[in-house]
This record gives sequence, structure tokens and C-alpha cells, in this order.
Amino acid sequence: MTRRTRWMLGRALAVAALLAFTLFPAYFMVASSLASSRSVTGTEALLPAEPTLDNYRYALTEAGFLTYLGNSLLVAVVTVAGSALLALLAAVAVSRFRFRLRTTVLVMVLVVQMVPLEALVIPLFLQASSLGMLNSLLGLSVVYIALSLPFAIWMLRGFTAAVPAEVEEAAYIDGASWPRMFWSVLLPLVAPGLVATGIFSFITAWNEFLIAFAFMDDADTYTVAVGLRQFFGQNTTDWGAMMAASTIITVPVMLFFLFVQRGLVSGLVQGAVKG
Amino acid sequence: MTATTTPGRPSAAAPPPRPRPLLTRRRRRALLPWALLAPGLAVLGGLLLYPLGRVLWLSVQDYGLDNILSGETDFNGLENYAELLSDGYLWRVALPNTALFAVVAVGATVVFGTLVALLLASLRPLARTAVISCVMIAWAMPAVTGTYVWVWIFDVDRGIVRQGLEAAGVLGPDGLNWFADRLLFYGIVTLNIVHHGFPFVAVTVLAGLLTVPRELYEAALIDGAGAWQRFRHVTLPVLRPVFAVVTILSTIWDFKVFAQVFLMPGGDGANREVLNLGVWSYLQGIVQRDYGSGAAVAVLLTLLLLAITLVYLRSLFRDEELR
Repeated sequence: MTRRTRWMLGRALAVAALLAFTLFPAYFMVASSLASSRSVTGTEALLPAEPTLDNYRYALTEAGFLTYLGNSLLVAVVTVAGSALLALLAAVAVSRFRFRLRTTVLVMVLVVQMVPLEALVIPLFLQASSLGMLNSLLGLSVVYIALSLPFAIWMLRGFTAAVPAEVEEAAYIDGASWPRMFWSVLLPLVAPGLVATGIFSFITAWNEFLIAFAFMDDADTYTVAVGLRQFFGQNTTDWGAMMAASTIITVPVMLFFLFVQRGLVSGLVQGAVKG
Repeated sequence: MTATTTPGRPSAAAPPPRPRPLLTRRRRRALLPWALLAPGLAVLGGLLLYPLGRVLWLSVQDYGLDNILSGETDFNGLENYAELLSDGYLWRVALPNTALFAVVAVGATVVFGTLVALLLASLRPLARTAVISCVMIAWAMPAVTGTYVWVWIFDVDRGIVRQGLEAAGVLGPDGLNWFADRLLFYGIVTLNIVHHGFPFVAVTVLAGLLTVPRELYEAALIDGAGAWQRFRHVTLPVLRPVFAVVTILSTIWDFKVFAQVFLMPGGDGANREVLNLGVWSYLQGIVQRDYGSGAAVAVLLTLLLLAITLVYLRSLFRDEELR
């Protein structure tokens, strides 16, 4: 073997190992969800002999996942709408105006993003409890709006800053007022950014576990992340149903994720880096 | 032009001044950004900053369920902190489970992610895009479902790892409850975190790698540098800011893992040996309803993160070229 073929072979092996490591959990989740028996073992689940959708039917109907999906969807939609609106206004303010404390506001938003959820859960729980908002999907959504807002502002800021000032000025010359310019010029141009930001907020709300687990003790208001825990037994776990429910939760996130990955990476890196 | 109105010029024949509008166009323009920022800042203030202040306030009180009902406060100074810091459990279990774990997990994530980035950089664009899409799947997996999949893979009774080890003759028929062992427990958590976290590092470092001028490598090659030397003396210095960002972001994320520990067998408090600061705070505060001491643990975690965040901000704003 020449040096070059050895290198090509080694690289191909490395790629294969990487793909196996990366994809195995997702593959194993889907494969296990198709198992026909409740007490499936690991090796049986690896290649389901008679794939069925029984676990999905069980999870959705008897285990109540239809309710949880509805709850999560509602929470996610309210979160997306709320955080997109607030983030858009804030992003326009910090990217298209020069004003005192502008940098301070931006840095504060960045710092607030670093606050660990674990530190907020106790006071938020007490706040929600005194407002009677525990077990309230709306209360949960409001918390998620706050959680997704800092990143949404930073990400949208990139999009609003990218609109050339000349476009804005042209609108003024044509006699447009600021609100008119915002509505007819700025908004259409940052719409792709809004979609990306909205998807990010959706994923935040859809995946969040800690706050939802603390707030919700009534099974009717569980979100999907919390509802999954019911399959987990102290001694035995219904892995077939658990993996079916996990697949249902994961698929929309993966689709959205593949859609926004570009923006997510540049948002995390550039958004956080540009001063 | 501010002088167009010339307010100071005295003129007897001037008509009585019209009442000035409350907000001139100029002032309105100056207030507009604040009006746009107001709703967002109000939400951030009310739901992130106010609770942050409240957790500090709670941490210096003996605050339990009866305080919620009566609404009275029970200020006890730094007693919660004194109790927390003199608790051997913090130093022996909770802090190592948080900090040592984070160091190991971040190191593993960054090293593995960088290796993947180097591998991706050596692929042709089409293959690279395909592999990146697959890698993204690991990132897209929600923490909750991802954790359960790893628990299932390592299930003590019927998991695929146990069956594999048993078939290979490594493990006896009694099996081994690796979730009960602190090191093995965190080994599985690390695997979960690295699997979930390396795509971000890989994609970010790859983006950086593609910007490194080719001439630098060619020059190094002419100087006779090997692959490692080229990485050490060309890639690493050029990408130092990128490595700073991914390391510090990963550190911040890995310090506050919650679901990945809490959802594992024993991680919800059944096995106190495996708790980290976040889970401990949750159990003290929300489950035991000792909000004061739970808040003190939360404040400790926040201070640790704050220190890391300051390092992060410094490294960001020191690098002029990144702005």
C-alpha cells in the first residue's frame, strides 16, 4: 500500500467511526421504538424483527402523549410569537440607532444569558406560586419568552444590522415615517432572520425540562419533556414506549435544527463575538 | 442643524410663540430606541434579573413553606452560606461533581470536536456537507430524549452494553449497576455531553479552519514543519479566539447540566453521591422546600459561572480583530 492509499483508508475509517458514534443513539432510539414486545432487550431492539407501530399508539393514546404534544405546541407557539416580537423591537433599537448605553444594554443582555436556569428556578417557582401561575401553560410560556429572548436579540441583531442604511434613507426620502419604514422596508428584509430566531425559540421551549418539571405537577399540563418521565420506572422501564415518545419529540426538533443550523452557529459565534 | 429656530432672537413684531409640541421630532427620535427596547428589557428584568436578585435575598434567609404562607421573612445573615461551606458534602461530592466533571467534559468535547473539524476540513465539499448534516443530528437531539437513550443503551438489566459485555465474557451473570458508581455514572454523563456538545465545537472550529490563509501552511511546509507542528504553530495561534469561545461556552454549558444528571437512575436524589450543584439546589429548594439553603447553593453555582463569564467577556473584548 502506498502512503496515499493508507491515508485515504484511514480517513474513510475515521469518517465511518464518526458517523457510527454520531448516529447510533438516534438510530437506536428509532429502532427500539419499533419493537413489538414491551420487554424488549437491547440486542433485540437493535434490529427489530417485526417492526410495529404499537409503541407509538400506546404512547399517544393510553400514555397521554397527545395531550402533552398539544401542551408543548401551545407553549412553543406563544413563546415563538412573544420572543420574536420583543426581540425584533429590541434588535432594531440596538442595531439601527446610536444612543447612550447602547453597548451597556448589549453586554447586559449577553450577561443575563449566562445566568443559570438552576439559579432562577427557586425564585421563579415562588413567583409563579404566589401569582397562581403554577400548572399554567401561559405562565410557563412567559418564562420561556424571557429565556429565549437574549439569544434571539443577539441573533436578530445581525440580520437587522445587515440592512443597508441607504435602503432606510430611501424610504424616508419617499416620505415614509419611521413606523411605515419599519413595516414596509425593514420587516420584509429581516423576515428570514425572524424565521431562524423563531425556530430557535421553538426548540428552547420544546426541549426545556427544569422549569416545566418544577411548575407542572398536574399531568394535564405536562409538556412532552416532562411527560416522558412517566415511562421511567424505579425497577422496570417501558423502553419501547419511551423510545417511541422520544422519537415523536425529537423528529420536529431535528427537522427545524437542520433548517437553522447555519444561523445557529453564526449566531452563537459571531453574534456573541461582534461587539 | 439646531439653529434653525433661533429661539433667543428678540423681536417685538413676532407673533405669540406657538406652544411647542411636548416631544419634538428630535426628542422623539432619541426616545424611540428606548421605546423599542422597553418591552424586552421589562421581560428580562422581571423574569431574569428580578429572580436573580430574589435568589440572593432568599439565600440570606431561613425561608420555608411557612414563610410563603405567612409572607414573613426570617433573615439569618450568612448562616446558609456558613452551613453550606462547612458541609463536607459540598467539597467531597457536589463541587467535584460539578467542577471536575465540567473540566473533563469540556476537555473531551473540545479535543474531540477539533479532531472532527480537522477530519471534516480534509474532506471534499460534498462529502463534508453530508457528514456535517449527520453530525448535526447529534446536536439536534434534545437533552431529555438523548439522556434517556443513553440510559437505555446502558440499562443495567437488558441494555445493549450489558448484553454485549456479558457475551464477551467481561461481565458475569450478576451484572453491574454502573449507575450506582459515581465515576461510572459520570462517565456515562460525559459520554452523553460529549456526544451532544462536540458538533458545535466541530462546526465552529471548521469555520475557523477554512479562514486560515493557505500561504501560512505552505510557508510552514517549506520550513519543514510536520502535521503536528503545523497545527501547533499555525492553526492554534490563528484560531486562538475561536478556541477561547468554544471552550468558554462549553464550560458554561457543562457547569449547569441538569436534565442529563437528574434523569439518570439515582440522579433525582435517590443516590446522593452523584448530585451536582444544580440538582442539589433543586432538591433542597423545590423538593425539600428549604428555599433559603437551596438558594445559597444556587448562588454559589451562579458565582462560579459569573467568574467564567467574566473570563469569557475579557477574551472576547480583548481581541480587537473579532469585533
